[in-house]
Parts: sequence; structure tokens; C-alpha cells
Amino acid sequence: MISCLLIHVTRNSQGLPISKNSVISGEILQIGRGAACKIHLQDHRISLLHATILRSEEGGLYIDAEHNVTLKVDGFITLSADLVPGTRLEVGPYSLIVEPETEHHEITLSLELIHPLPAVMQGHVPVNLAALGWSKRKFGFGMAAIILFLFMLLPLLPAASNALDKWQSGLPVTMTDSWSPGPLSGGHELFASKCSTCHQRAFKSVTDEICTGCHARVSRHLTKADLEVQAFGGMHCTNCHIDHKGREELVLHDSSKCVDCHGNIKDKKTSTELANVNDFNLGHPPFHLTFVSDSGAVHIREDDKARLIEKSGLKYSHQVHLAKDGVSSPQGDTVMQCQDCHKLEESGKHFAPMSMQKSCQQSGCHALDFTDPVTGLAPHGSERAVMNSLREFYGKWLGVSADNLAACKGAVVQDCVNELARKNAAATLFRKDLECGECHEISPVANKDVPWKVTPIRINRDWQPGAIFPHNRHDTMKCTDCHDKVESKVSADISMPGIAKCRECHVGNHPAKGKVASGCDSCHQFHRTAVKPEN
Amino acid sequence: MNNMQGSSLLKYKNYRYLKVSAGMMVLSIVVYLFNEPVGGHPFGGTWLGYTLGVVSTLILLGLMWYGVAKRSITGTPDWSMIAEHEGMAGSHQRPAHGKSSVNKGLRGSGMLQEWLSGHIYLGISLLVLATLHTGFHLGWNVHTLAYVLMMLVIFSGFYGLNAYLNYPRLITLNMGEDTLDDLLLKIAELDELATARALDLSDEVNVLVMESCQETRVGGNLLQQLSGTQRDCPTRFAVQHLMTLGGHYIRDDQRKMLRDLYSLLLRKEKLVLRARTEIMLKARLECWLYLHAPLGIALFSALAAHIISIFFYW
Repeated sequence: MISCLLIHVTRNSQGLPISKNSVISGEILQIGRGAACKIHLQDHRISLLHATILRSEEGGLYIDAEHNVTLKVDGFITLSADLVPGTRLEVGPYSLIVEPETEHHEITLSLELIHPLPAVMQGHVPVNLAALGWSKRKFGFGMAAIILFLFMLLPLLPAASNALDKWQSGLPVTMTDSWSPGPLSGGHELFASKCSTCHQRAFKSVTDEICTGCHARVSRHLTKADLEVQAFGGMHCTNCHIDHKGREELVLHDSSKCVDCHGNIKDKKTSTELANVNDFNLGHPPFHLTFVSDSGAVHIREDDKARLIEKSGLKYSHQVHLAKDGVSSPQGDTVMQCQDCHKLEESGKHFAPMSMQKSCQQSGCHALDFTDPVTGLAPHGSERAVMNSLREFYGKWLGVSADNLAACKGAVVQDCVNELARKNAAATLFRKDLECGECHEISPVANKDVPWKVTPIRINRDWQPGAIFPHNRHDTMKCTDCHDKVESKVSADISMPGIAKCRECHVGNHPAKGKVASGCDSCHQFHRTAVKPEN
Repeated sequence: MNNMQGSSLLKYKNYRYLKVSAGMMVLSIVVYLFNEPVGGHPFGGTWLGYTLGVVSTLILLGLMWYGVAKRSITGTPDWSMIAEHEGMAGSHQRPAHGKSSVNKGLRGSGMLQEWLSGHIYLGISLLVLATLHTGFHLGWNVHTLAYVLMMLVIFSGFYGLNAYLNYPRLITLNMGEDTLDDLLLKIAELDELATARALDLSDEVNVLVMESCQETRVGGNLLQQLSGTQRDCPTRFAVQHLMTLGGHYIRDDQRKMLRDLYSLLLRKEKLVLRARTEIMLKARLECWLYLHAPLGIALFSALAAHIISIFFYW
């Protein structure tokens, strides 16, 4: 039989202990939530039968815990422990202390609930958004402060100090990057990290002087300075050149500003010889072809066929050279292409000038052989050079043998050399419609040393100097789509397409289905002196 | 509701602000389509771009002034004020304090309703005006930041309008005459009763009841409030498993006790569900304001930086 004094300890509102004693006894003392337990603990964390106090074979008392319950002795989890005075047990949320022995009871236990159940649910868990403690105001003003610091204060600082401006321009992300409304044009990209390169004064727009500081050689639109001021006096570079629109967008591509003047230019300037132009498709005059002569440039309308004759001084048949069966050459019949002679320059706009050597003698054609007894090729490009070559030859040739010298028939050697050279040249080179005369106009002149004159060659290089035609952007087309003089037999024929040909693909400022919208700057440049056409 | 009441806000004065807003939007779109800006590319720096920017800024300042003035006058959370004004459900749960006589005056005059109607429609118009102002040029800069913030504010406002039109009715359907405090008190009472009942039952039953009492969560953090659910809810688990644990009870009083306990937990589960639904609907009704208002303030600062930057580097 175990006799036990059980001291129930509770705490008052000040936390002071209040004890209540009871005596229990039995062969064993069960501890648990069950009503049968002598030490009855009404708490969910206690099992129906939690532990049992037993007597050991040696006569001492010990406590034995059930499986799957919590029993701690002096802070350590265990399943059983001897009960000697001073032993501190934890049975679930209860503290059970073995007090010093008393006379009347074999064991004295003090029991106290040291881990009361927490309050149920409510009280700690937020049940609305306000209880989360978030402040809309702090959140908003916090973001505003960050934005103002990063995107207002920082970008402003470089304007206050040149040193700071220079330093920050070397950063991977500069202080002013966030203010850039878009990528700079290609040539200006190197200024992207230093806004003050162009924006030199706060709250002031970029001035023309800043642009011309670098672009000092940009040409005017009009040749006459007073007209330039009259026409563009109130305008600035930035009216047309709006940057921060991407790499390719610095040049104004729409035609509205051009048409502002050129749409009704005859009213604006009554003395002008320019035609009104509104739109490439709907209001553009016929093309004018520019002929360069010794007296200057002459501009002739594309439909003035009677005057559209090229006087190049060259005799040439496209029909012969572009024959489908080929043209006779030392290699046999050779089919020639346009590109064999017309080679596009790297700019893609013009063709490289043709030369005798590169274009005509390259494949052995038009070799210009001297004839017996003279050997070798005649030099091309100078009548005098031809004659000098012959004279040099005959000078040596007469000294080779007495037979050769006999050809002079007693004449003065110098005169003999001249005469032999003249005869050879007349017989083999300077012949009408043969040799030199096959391509050139040759006329005799009263010059003893060089008795022939070849008409100078003047092949027009740029028929429309006031416009730009990028051949390289039209390389999906065949040459003959636009230049229709394949059957031409004479070089006087001009093979420049008229405006109607361009309009087959191009329209004006407004896009149209199946056509390419083409503003003024598709062909014309603003900063270039306009070419004055004849009407 | 209340759709009728909500729509009265949208129909205010025969759609006055809808007409104003739609007119501005159509006009700006038409002008934008037919305008041929210098350079061929529309952007904020053309005459139309500046016009759209100025108009958008003025509208935005007006809308923000509405928010500031309303807050200073009413001192009450926005949604509830709207709900109260519209006579919507849920308003009875709001504390009565903070409603000044000025507010009552505004309510009486209908000015608040007019402002709110204008706020909604003019705010929507910014969707078009500000977008056209950009000329569809966006990038990593303060200008796009202002635009993006504006779009966020507008779209959070769309959410708010939708919430305001729908959630008050659902709140009424869910809560009836009860308040959340009522439900929580009832739940606490049921917990007490259940724990008392469970003491005399098996350990397994006690564990179920204890977990139901201790670990059932109503409310919580933002996501928990917005979802209105609790994964592996202990109360629902207890309801589902309680009766299966009672098979070994052979005494009638124990079986009766178990049935009583089951009934208590069943009632608790329904109350918990209603409480969570209430918290969820309220959270969904109010959450947008945690973006709408702060983003509006951020937008104001970004707009200031945008305008200063434009004129500083003119």
C-alpha cells in the first residue's frame, strides 16, 4: 500500500502559490485523465492512463510511463524513474515534484500545471488586412521616395558638377540613363552616357550651334544665303532631326515639311523655275536629265525626246555587244552581260567609269596591234603617244640595216621616220570605222607631229545629280527592267527610265497596296544644293 | 444588392462621365490615327503627344485629388464608405466613428457619388489617352515607369470596381445578421463544449478535438486571408474521422457523448467556413486598395520625374 500526500499548487492573480492537500493511497497510484486514476488530471494533453507509481522489488517507489506519452525527469525524457525526494518530473503540462518525506506519508508530491492551454484561436491571428499592420501610406510614400531619389535626384546631379558628370558617364548604368526617352541615333550613341554633350543648358532646347559645333560642314539647302534665311530663318536643326528615336531615325523621313514649301513654291517665290511638288505619285514633274557640256549643265525633260541625245564622242552598239548568241572575241563567241562593263561602285549608287583597258581589252578584244614591221600594242588614250611609239620604233629600225635605211630613199632621217610613222598609223590605226575609228570619231588635223584628232570622250556619269538612286537596293531586278536599250545600235541613245517606270513600284507619301511608299527623301537630300531643271 | 445600386454609380446622371470619357477616348484615337507627326513616328513630343500628356496629367491630378479629399473628409476606409453610401451590405460591420458631418453632407448632396463615377470613367479614359501619349514607344526609363505605374493603378481600379460590384452581396449572403465577432465567439463556445465532452472519451478522440481547438485557423497572413481556406483543416479532419473512432464504445452514454461531440464539431465546421469566407471576401474587397493607393502615390512621383526630365533636357 502506497500512502501519498498530494499537494495541488495553483497561482493567484499575483502569481503567488496556493496549495491544496489531499491524501491518496493504493497498491499502485495511476496518473491520467481517466476517472479511475488516483491522480486525476483533466487535460487533453494527458492520456487516459499516463503513468503509474509502483513499488519496486527493493521496496522503493518509482514511476513508470505508458507508451507514447511524455514523461520528463529533471528535464530528460524517460519511461521510468525512481521517486526520491527532490526528483522533478514533468507529466505532460504538469510539474510533479517529490517533496521531502513526512512522518505520515510514504511520499509527498506537489502538482502544478506549468503549461496551461493557450487561448483558443482568436486573439492572435489577424482576421482582416488592417490587422496585418501594413500601411498603404508608408508603402506608397516609400515607393515615391525611391522613385524620386533614383529617377529625379540622381539624374539631376550630373548637371550640377562637371566632374560628377564625367565620372558617372563611365558607369555601366549612368545616373541619367533613366531619363533617356529612347536610343540615340547611330552617330550620337557615344554621347548617350553624357547628356550634357547636347543638352548644355537646363530647360533650354538644343541649339543649332551645338549641332554645327560638330557638323560644321553641313551644306545648306539653298545656294543663296539670303534665300536660305528667308525660307528657313525660323527653323532649327531639331525641327527635323529629332533624336532618341532609335539608331536609324534621326533624319526626317516624312515629306510634310518639304511639301510645305515645294507644294506651292511658285506662289512663295514667283521667280522660281522649280515646279510645284506635292507627292511623288500625284504631283511630281517629269524627270529631267542633266547633260554636262563645256558651257555647263543642261537639264532636259524626259519627254523631250528630240533633245535627249547623248554626244559622248563614242561609237558603240549595245545590240552588238549584248547579242544573245554572243559577240566575237579571241576566245570565240562570248555572251556579255551588262555588268561586264557597268560595274557598280561600293556606294551602290553609281557605276565606276569604264576604261579601254578594263572594259574593252580585258578579254583580248580591241587589242590595237601595230602592224608589220612594228610590233606590240599601240598605247590607248593619246594620239601623240601612238605617234611617239611609232617614231621611236622607226628610229631604231632604220639603224638596224642598210636595207631598212634604203626605205628613206635619201631623205633626211628625221623626216623619214615621221613619214614612216604617219604611214603606218594611217594604214593600221587611224582609219575610218576600223581600229581606232571603230569606236572613235577621227578627223585629220594640220599638225605635222600628230596629224589626227580623236574626238574626246564624254560619257555622262550622273544623269540625275539632284537625286539619289541606290542601284544596290534594286538588285532584285534585272537591268533591262528599267534600261530598255538592249537593241540600241548607237551611243546617242539614252537608256534612262522615266518617272512612269518608277511609279510602277513606288507611290508617294501615302502607302498603297502593292507599292512602296516613297517620300521626298527617298531620292532627294535636304542638305544639298538643289539642281535647277528646265521646264 | 445590389447590382442595381452598384450600377446606379455607373449610370450616374445618365452615364454623364461615361459619355465624357468615351468622347475623349474616341476623339483622341481618331486624331491619333489621322495625325501625321513630323518624322512619321508618333511620340510624346509632337503637338498631339503634348496635348495628350497635358490632358492625361490634368485628369490624373483630378483623380488623385479626389482620393486625397475623400480620405481627409471621411476618414473611413474607401470601400466601406462606398458600400455605406450605396447602402450595401457589410456596412453595418464598420465602426461608426470617423463619419463626420461633412461626410454626411457630401452623401446627402450626391457629390461623393458623382466624384466616384467620374473617378471610374475618367480613370478608364487614361488607359487610352496615356497609351496614345506614349506613341507606343516604351523602354527602360522613367517615362515608361510612369506609364506602367499608371496602368497598374488603373487595372487595380478595375479589380476594385469588380469587387465593389460583387463582394458586398456575397458578404450579405454569407453572414446574414451575424458579425465576424459573433462567429468567433460561437466557435470559442463550441470549443469549450467539445473539450469538456472529449475529456471522458478516448485519447484518439481527445487528440482530434484538441487539434481542432488549437490548430484550426481563421484568418492569418495575406494569402491565408485571400484563400479563405486552411490546408488539412483540423476541424474538418475531426468531423470526417470522429465517428470512425467510436466503434469500440459499448456504453450508451459514451455513444451519446460521441454523437454530441460530432454535432458540436459539425456546427463548428460550418461556423469556421463562414468566418473564413467572411474574411476572404473582405480581404478580396480591400486588397486592391493596398496597391491602388500606394501605386497612385508612386505614380505621382514618377510623373513628376517624367515631366521634370522632359523640360530639364528640353
